[in-house]
Amino acid sequence: MSKQYLQTLTVPDAHPTDIFSLAITPSHLLTASGSSSIKIYRAKGQAIHADTAEDENPYPLVQTLEKVHKLGCHHVCTSLDGRVAASVGFGGELKVWECAEDGEWKEKGEIIVAEKNAGEHWAAALNENGQYLACTTSDGRINVYDTSTISDGKSQKITEYQTKGFFGMSVDVSPDGEMTASGHQNGSIYIFNNSTRRLAHSLAGLIKPVRAVKFSPANRYLAATGDSRIIALYDTKSGEQVANLTGHSSWIMSLDWNWNGEYLLSGSQDGKVKIWSVERRECVATQTESEKCLWSVKWLYHSPTARNEVFVTAGAGKTLAFYREASGT
Amino acid sequence: MDFDDDDFEDLFNEAELLQGSSQGPSVTAKIEACFEQIVDDLLNEKDEVSITLKTRKRTGSARDGQSTTPERRICFPGKTAEEAWRFCKFSQELSDVKHEIDNLSVAVVLRILELMHEATRTNTVLSKRDIFYRDPALFGKQAHVDRYVDDIAFTFGVTRSSLNVTAAAKGLLAGAISICRKDGSILDARTDREGILIPNVKDLLSVDMSSVQFILVIEKEATFRSIAGSDFWNVIQSQGVILTGKGYPDLASREMLRLLSSASPQNGFAAPPVYGLADFDPDGMAILSTYKSGSKALAHENEGHCIPQLHRLGLHSTHLFVGDDSQAAQGILTLTTRDRKKATKLLADTPSNCVLRNELQTMLMFNMKAELQLLDSTPGGMYAFLSAELKHL
Repeated sequence: MSKQYLQTLTVPDAHPTDIFSLAITPSHLLTASGSSSIKIYRAKGQAIHADTAEDENPYPLVQTLEKVHKLGCHHVCTSLDGRVAASVGFGGELKVWECAEDGEWKEKGEIIVAEKNAGEHWAAALNENGQYLACTTSDGRINVYDTSTISDGKSQKITEYQTKGFFGMSVDVSPDGEMTASGHQNGSIYIFNNSTRRLAHSLAGLIKPVRAVKFSPANRYLAATGDSRIIALYDTKSGEQVANLTGHSSWIMSLDWNWNGEYLLSGSQDGKVKIWSVERRECVATQTESEKCLWSVKWLYHSPTARNEVFVTAGAGKTLAFYREASGT
Repeated sequence: MDFDDDDFEDLFNEAELLQGSSQGPSVTAKIEACFEQIVDDLLNEKDEVSITLKTRKRTGSARDGQSTTPERRICFPGKTAEEAWRFCKFSQELSDVKHEIDNLSVAVVLRILELMHEATRTNTVLSKRDIFYRDPALFGKQAHVDRYVDDIAFTFGVTRSSLNVTAAAKGLLAGAISICRKDGSILDARTDREGILIPNVKDLLSVDMSSVQFILVIEKEATFRSIAGSDFWNVIQSQGVILTGKGYPDLASREMLRLLSSASPQNGFAAPPVYGLADFDPDGMAILSTYKSGSKALAHENEGHCIPQLHRLGLHSTHLFVGDDSQAAQGILTLTTRDRKKATKLLADTPSNCVLRNELQTMLMFNMKAELQLLDSTPGGMYAFLSAELKHL
């Protein structure tokens, strides 16, 4: 059975250039783009219903971190508890942000790569409370920093996972904090055990660049995707591939699990969004937003009282688009 | 390695022998005579072989009243390592060299002569820049090549162009124009698909641009040739101009493009639109931006050489997806570390409102680049691409 999703709101020209990355906290939506600022919208998991006043924007812009990445920002990530965020800029700079009690974001510090010839920082992910920050590099390493020790451009490097040297395009830390996964330019995918700090699984890769890796909410699966146009599901315990989801006809740029792990959301280079039933291993909804590349798709935080889930998409169209499941299904 | 000026006071004594008959033997023969002399010296097991270079007079240098041309012998084995460096690359290749060659021994002069010989024999034209790039490790600096080339020409008593070496003019152009030189000769760019070497603008009287509808600037020679060899040539021959500076353009190519594209009495007040075609990679972007807004290295020359109206025809980031998974995908490559560094640097130099900035960011995000060759493997190839892009003409 397919599902229906309705576009409920769009924020045109949310940024003057491509929006490359989105991150969610229980109260905010952080957006990063080719411009130098990070914009923060209020997003408390509320959906727009018939009883919502029409002129009320449920996702107002609440803060702009001006000129924080001079050359633009390609990745932003948040901790599950919503207290910490990290952003990576095109100049290779890695910044850590902290959300105060009043909901305002402030810079906590910057981590500068000290060694020469160390590859530039690329994708980043935080653990549940934001203490550990995993960041891939263009030469295939995954650096793990302790963000609580950040000062003067330095932060204690907890560990460094080595791979075969291929560009680290994507990274994720499991919700329980036990695992770090990385996806690489050559299609390889690795799972590291954060307790032993060793490689747990080198997964059967996708041959082509892996642009997104994402642990399921219960840590059981890892979803990986990219230019192969396939979403591969792996069992994180055994390292076995358990499913292939096919249907996209272009590179898949971004992935996200919904709150209970029932659905996967994917966005592709040709502007298509798909929702997949994990149980049935099939696509249950497709939205064609435009022909422009969707760099990032995310479920908003799901509050227990909300009936319908909402997701947001962003990309080369410079627009933020919000969708919710049609009522009654 | 650096020289002081005295190092250039050199001349070939073999060449000197030929001086009296400078109109006689061809330059090829002169160079060969030079080599023969050296081989003879070696066969006769002379203690040393030497050549002497004549150095051009420097204006204002009163060399203690000397009225004769200053000259200098370069010997092998040299008295110093440096002298050997100037001499020895060639000797190294001769089987009967007995001398232990210093590790600096690389012969600038002989290497240049060898290249000139090749150029005159095959009747091709080399630029001083070409010579340098044949062996950048040996020459070290472009300045060394420039000085020796001119010294050799002076020693032989011929012009540099008769040695088939030009100052620059590595660029090519072809299309619906004819160029009138100051000496009255006419250069017709319509006739030859191979393209003509871009002439020095200073030597030109006027250019007939009456049928030109557009100018297409192409990053590299390979693409220039493939376009000239395609069916699109008919369009170019009747209403367009194609031009390439073969990579980063020299001033001569940029000057020529400027002459063709901005209205002046010299070009009959024509101002056709200028399009740029380059790889979707950091160098491609930098090359088109050199035509458009000049280079950093020659910032003082930028006025009068820039083509701000240049419109980038491609490739764009969208070309990464042209015929994906087909043969075209072969023109799509992963960025190297150098590419990424270069792109980041370009990004830092690009104003934030510029389209280029978005293209660079997109390139870095995808971590992919696309080469012009990929158009050849798309349906219709280069012809279809250009016809579509230029159809409004």
